[in-house]
Amino acid sequence: MGNLKKIFTNLRIIILLAVILLAVIAINPHPFNKGVAIRNVIMNSSANLAGIESPKPTATPMSKEIIISINNKPINNLNDYYSFEAELKPNRTVSVKTNKGTYRLITKYRTETIVLNETINETITKEVDVTEIINGINVNKTINKTEIITVPKTITNVYNDSIDLGIRVYNAPTTNVRKGLDLQGGTRVLLEPEEKISADDMEIVLSNIKQRLNIYGLSDIVVRTISDLSGNQYILIEIAGANEEEVKELVAKQGKFEAKIGNDIVFKGGNDITYICRSADCSGIDPNSYGQSNGQWFCRFRFSISLSPEAAQKQADLTENLDIITEGENDYLNETLDLYLDNQNVDSLNIGSDLKGRAVTDIQISGSGSGATQQEALSESLKNMKKLQTILITGSLPVKLNVVKTDAISPSLGEEFVKNAFFIGFLAILSVSLIVFLRYRKLEITLPMMITLIAEVIIILGVAALIGWNIDIAAIAGIIIVIGSCVDHQIVISDELLKKEHQVFFNWKQRIGNAFFIIMAAYFTTFVAMLPLMRAGAGLLKGFAITTIIGISVGVFITRPAFAAVVEILLKDKL
Amino acid sequence: MSEENNSGGRFAKNKQISKLLEWYDKNYKKLLIIPIVLLILSIGVIFYKYAATGDFIDKDISLKGGITITIPSKDIDADSLKTYLLSEFPESDISVRTLTKLGEKTGVMISTSDIDSKELLNILKTKYGELDYNVEEMGSSLGKSFFKETFIAILFAFLFIAIVVFFYFRQPIPSLAIVLSAFSNMVVTLAIINLMGVKLSTAGVAAFLMLIGYSVDTNILLSTKVLKRKDGEVIDRIVNGMKTGLTMTLTTVTAIVVAYVFSQSAALSQIMLILIIGLLMDVLNTWVQNAGILRLYLERRTKNG
Repeated sequence: MGNLKKIFTNLRIIILLAVILLAVIAINPHPFNKGVAIRNVIMNSSANLAGIESPKPTATPMSKEIIISINNKPINNLNDYYSFEAELKPNRTVSVKTNKGTYRLITKYRTETIVLNETINETITKEVDVTEIINGINVNKTINKTEIITVPKTITNVYNDSIDLGIRVYNAPTTNVRKGLDLQGGTRVLLEPEEKISADDMEIVLSNIKQRLNIYGLSDIVVRTISDLSGNQYILIEIAGANEEEVKELVAKQGKFEAKIGNDIVFKGGNDITYICRSADCSGIDPNSYGQSNGQWFCRFRFSISLSPEAAQKQADLTENLDIITEGENDYLNETLDLYLDNQNVDSLNIGSDLKGRAVTDIQISGSGSGATQQEALSESLKNMKKLQTILITGSLPVKLNVVKTDAISPSLGEEFVKNAFFIGFLAILSVSLIVFLRYRKLEITLPMMITLIAEVIIILGVAALIGWNIDIAAIAGIIIVIGSCVDHQIVISDELLKKEHQVFFNWKQRIGNAFFIIMAAYFTTFVAMLPLMRAGAGLLKGFAITTIIGISVGVFITRPAFAAVVEILLKDKL
Repeated sequence: MSEENNSGGRFAKNKQISKLLEWYDKNYKKLLIIPIVLLILSIGVIFYKYAATGDFIDKDISLKGGITITIPSKDIDADSLKTYLLSEFPESDISVRTLTKLGEKTGVMISTSDIDSKELLNILKTKYGELDYNVEEMGSSLGKSFFKETFIAILFAFLFIAIVVFFYFRQPIPSLAIVLSAFSNMVVTLAIINLMGVKLSTAGVAAFLMLIGYSVDTNILLSTKVLKRKDGEVIDRIVNGMKTGLTMTLTTVTAIVVAYVFSQSAALSQIMLILIIGLLMDVLNTWVQNAGILRLYLERRTKNG
């Protein structure tokens, strides 16, 4: 009993236990979770109107809203959900119960909204705070001001053969660990170039798409070419658990960005722009821009960019001969700076009179977003800003791409992969323990080693859950190498401590020091070997390197010291 | 395996093992020839492969691309289709995945890098009758520059390993010896995998990277024992380290063999196979090659100093 007390009061062991506890909290395991989790909610759909919200892209898997029952019928999995949806009739009320509340939805036919390459002008009214001077006293009051803004024209197709509640779902997650594309499957989007392009241009398209998706924050992606037997080229994109609308929006845009004054181009996306601000201090929503029109809310975003000197000079040349007009207290030039994305006017900016004829490199870009509520307008606006920034950074694609079809795809490693991996992991740990027991004939070594191995796996998964890292085949390879090194290093510790010839030359402390000298050397060497792999372009190498670095660091600084402490408490006096 | 009784021989209680170790002690220079010849042969195998096929190893569908056949049918089960195809084309590289749209199954997608599309379609027709299908040619999942990037990244990894080991031991030759050992390990394993006709997948690429890690563990152990410890003669320290090192390799190999036997996933099997070969080769690379180089180096140093 004395030993047990010593073990649980040892600082290193307490640290290990605390870290394991934190890891378990981060993983948040609920192995028996039922229901379907909401991946996203379609704008203006039944669900959207009933107040169900799309989760934030950064939300952890376990924090997503889970549908438990509809009309009191339990929904345990995807099949339950879809078979229920298939039987619905239009204009009925259904009650959807989730883990966060109950919603009443009015069923509607499935619709599809297409954004056209045309724009229309809409009049919006917005509330503006003004200060008036009445009888020499400043009076603050709010007035309604109308303004005309340009928005893209949309058409809506209604399919009256099926009902769509407007919720995209997947089987409720059981932990916070995100599974990668090859373990979980994802969305598969097939794109066709509008015209035939050369192999070189195709390479540019592929790398541009990858970069766009990466900058947008979708990292677990496979992009490849595919062609049918008659020689038509397509591009195939696979993305883990992504929202397909976002992907379509992002990759089906050619991204030809032009800023014009009249008919003259001032600058284009790509090389003309040297810097795009994406941090909060110089990009975001204009707080004074909220407005309403026909029940829709609007708001504007803005962010700073830097132009190349040539583009700035061009702006100076084009503004030199413009006239100054005065509107209220502000002086503007008589032409606006019009922003076009794929030949569609996204915004028109007034040019301040002080910019006339000056080669200014730092300018502000803006645009807008709309939605049913103020909150929705804000998030739409932010989304549009992120898209525009992504496109400005990556420049345009050599060709326009059309979405041919989108499907969900099952994992490339098979549905049973994860179960099988856990099973063989378990067998591997058992067999390692057996060999270690045969070698040392001491449970005091074998049991702590087994526990350390399991602890290390839990901690790696905990870190992965915490940083939102996708576990895929590369990460699994990383975990295997970490477990392997863990066993290696514990054998080094055991041998240094237990061997008779070591006991003759060194005292206990020196022997621990000797063991950790070897372990630290191996750690630093592996660590630096992983750095270039982390920097290499492809996700495969990066996933492997990051998991390995996290794992070996956890091992060297947390689990191995604890293992050495346990062995010391159990064996020091027996030798 | 305790070392309480030293009467058996100089290095171990067991006479045979002790004799073997004595032989190892006397003939380390001659033994050095084995890994050197193996490395040269392996480079030869890889170059031959490159000259013959234009690629240094056979690649599977994930690395090279291939054909995909999409069948828009709700009734075909992906798992049983895969079992059927593997029985018709054993040893082939086949993957079958399900496509769904809004929860409804829309079809199955068969991908392969090494079966002719006509042959595959014929086999499908004999089982399922006439089918709607789409045949497409699929490119690699990794960009064209992937192998170049990996190669450069590994070169830098070796360079960094050399620098860290140099800082630790302050001696250039042992640093280079560790890098050479890790390098030989990867090259020889690649050659053996090549001769076995394995088609490398993305998982296999990860497995090769794992070899760096394992190789570093045993080599650092050896270098520390030889260069930092002062107890006994060099050979005693090598043998002392070898006992620890072989235990390390034995536990890992056992775990990996178990995993290999019970794995139902082609990706995991390939990782395990590459690791088994790599770890067995690492025994040679560490305890014959690196140990031999270190002994030669220390002998030279004593002679000159």
